[in-house]
Amino acid sequence: MTTRSLESRGFVGLRAVLLIVFGLICLAPIVWMVLASFKTNIDIYDPSSTFSFTPTLQNYSAVFAQADFLQFFINSLIIGVGSTGLALLIGVPAAFSMQRFGMAKSSGLVLLSRVIPHVTLLVPWYFIFASLQMVGGYSSLVISHMFISVPLIVWVMIGVFEGVPEELEEAARVDGLTHIGAFRRIVIPLVVPGIATSAILSFIFSWNNFVFALVLSGNSTRTLPVAIFNFIGYASIDWGALMAACVSITAPMIVMALLGQKYVVAGMTAGAVKG
Amino acid sequence: MSMRYRRSWMLAATAATGAMVLAGCAGGGNEDTINIAVANHPWTDAVLANVEEFEAETGLNVEVTSYTEDQLSQQLNVRLNANADDIDVMMVRPLQEIRTFDRNGWLADLTEQATSDEEWDWADFQEGPQESVTLDDRVLGVPLATEREVLYYRTDLLEAAGLDVPQTLEELETAAQTIQDQNPDVYGFVSRGARAAAVTQFSSFLYSYGADWVAEDGSSGIGTPEAREAYTFYGDMLRNYGPPGVTNMSWPEAMGIFTQGRAAFYTEADSLYTNATDPSNSTVSDVVGFAQFPEGPAGSRPTNVPSWALAVPASSNNQDSAWEFIRWATNQENTIVAQENGVIGARASAWETEMPDIPADLAAAQRTSAEVGVGYSHPVVLNVSRARDIVGDPIVTAIEGGDVDAALDSADRAFTEFLASENE
Repeated sequence: MTTRSLESRGFVGLRAVLLIVFGLICLAPIVWMVLASFKTNIDIYDPSSTFSFTPTLQNYSAVFAQADFLQFFINSLIIGVGSTGLALLIGVPAAFSMQRFGMAKSSGLVLLSRVIPHVTLLVPWYFIFASLQMVGGYSSLVISHMFISVPLIVWVMIGVFEGVPEELEEAARVDGLTHIGAFRRIVIPLVVPGIATSAILSFIFSWNNFVFALVLSGNSTRTLPVAIFNFIGYASIDWGALMAACVSITAPMIVMALLGQKYVVAGMTAGAVKG
Repeated sequence: MSMRYRRSWMLAATAATGAMVLAGCAGGGNEDTINIAVANHPWTDAVLANVEEFEAETGLNVEVTSYTEDQLSQQLNVRLNANADDIDVMMVRPLQEIRTFDRNGWLADLTEQATSDEEWDWADFQEGPQESVTLDDRVLGVPLATEREVLYYRTDLLEAAGLDVPQTLEELETAAQTIQDQNPDVYGFVSRGARAAAVTQFSSFLYSYGADWVAEDGSSGIGTPEAREAYTFYGDMLRNYGPPGVTNMSWPEAMGIFTQGRAAFYTEADSLYTNATDPSNSTVSDVVGFAQFPEGPAGSRPTNVPSWALAVPASSNNQDSAWEFIRWATNQENTIVAQENGVIGARASAWETEMPDIPADLAAAQRTSAEVGVGYSHPVVLNVSRARDIVGDPIVTAIEGGDVDAALDSADRAFTEFLASENE
């Protein structure tokens, strides 16, 4: 009964309508952003030229004429890759131990760092990093981003490891591998989709993070989300250039998400249907 | 086998830790370097463009970090709270921040340097801006930009309607009505309507009606009959002649309506005038006029406030060099450089200089406003944002056409309580 009603024509039609409506709601701001990035500031404010306007590339040239924009891009990349890489190094084995050895309390503790509002961490972190002379370097940003991405990875990966039968490891150990050996050679290759999912989520978080970078970055280590605010002045806002900068920042993420989509979906559902 | 794997894991971890520590060693303080935290502001662009002059003169190195207004404020709050020594000079908003920062012990006392330097001449600074950075006879900052509320208007629409520039608020209302009736696509009047953002521009209306935020006895001043009239007038103007959705508007939105040619009158800070006169931002750049804020029952009493100042954090280890920088950045010459770029400073001497790039009607309005203006555009308290929310609430009620008296009664009570708690 249920299967038939789910496949009925009415349901398919309704689903299509709902998906289109939801898709439009999600896409509208992005479309507006992309359109605005090709408009002059006068056209942006004019509702009658929402779709009909003479496109201009001056906003993009303004963004890339900013000598530092490429540097900000590289900074974001270094910090994103660095924090994600190190967080995977710590988070994946940690998740494995927590799942396999039943460390439920530790996993709860790890979750705590995601519950704390991040703004409250700023003053203590600034204080600690300043006394270690680390403010303005990449390391303080990498460490602060890891604070968020390690728990993220741990929680995604615990679910993933649940889907890997313990018998596989036992078999590997019978054949002479240690715990770590079995983990590396047997378990890890099985959970690559999960790792990709958590890596992408962690990288996106780092790429978009604003508050940590605002306080902990220096002139030479500023990241893109902080840098786009350069287009907002005290008495003037360059909307066109701001939107062009936003498109330039968002585009790599969208491309990455599309390329990684296959893995993300596989990883999200891994372990979800067990039992 | 297993040993090799274990070792490779440990190696990777050690390498990662090592890299982090090494990277962390970059940076650090240096006595020849002054670190300056500023806002993205036309002043910054104009004056700091010549910072090499200062560096060549003094042999000091200047590191400038620039943020938007809100980011700068957030930044300063975090860093000063942690006793940071990596800021030597900072841009602060005198009315919003000096009191709080001083109460937290974050500001260095500059009295001696400021008052003993005759060549630089502290006495040249206007009295209002001076007072805004002076607490208990201690000079805590040097004002560098001031702003006034003026009337922006459309010369073409006034001409077509055969009207003169409104001199009083009553005339403003009549003119807004006339122009709106004649031009179906044009709203008669626009101004900020969002709760906290509206407060600074509503101030001039409040003062011109003869009211003030705080009464002489230190209790709330917004319950007086004059204040009630001012709130009602402002709300009526925006409800009857303003665009829809005005209660969500701060300056970018209101300015957008005006520069799209969809409003006849606009009351706003003069510091924003280039948005309206720059042809790449404004469709009305050649038909925009400026006038002094119209007279209310108590005359024309626009705001005339010091918007930014330079200050030195108490935690800076470089206070002497920091003062050298402030002294250079705020000298007569640089005040004029800023003024040529549209940033009106606080030095009396600079007002006498001719400024060819500022529209003549704007310059005249600025001059007369400075004479009759009031030196604050919101309640001068420690927790400014809370105060703005309280006194801004009835503005929204008035615009929406709600029960202004009831809203003012409750805001008046809340504000009196707030003031009492501030004084504890």
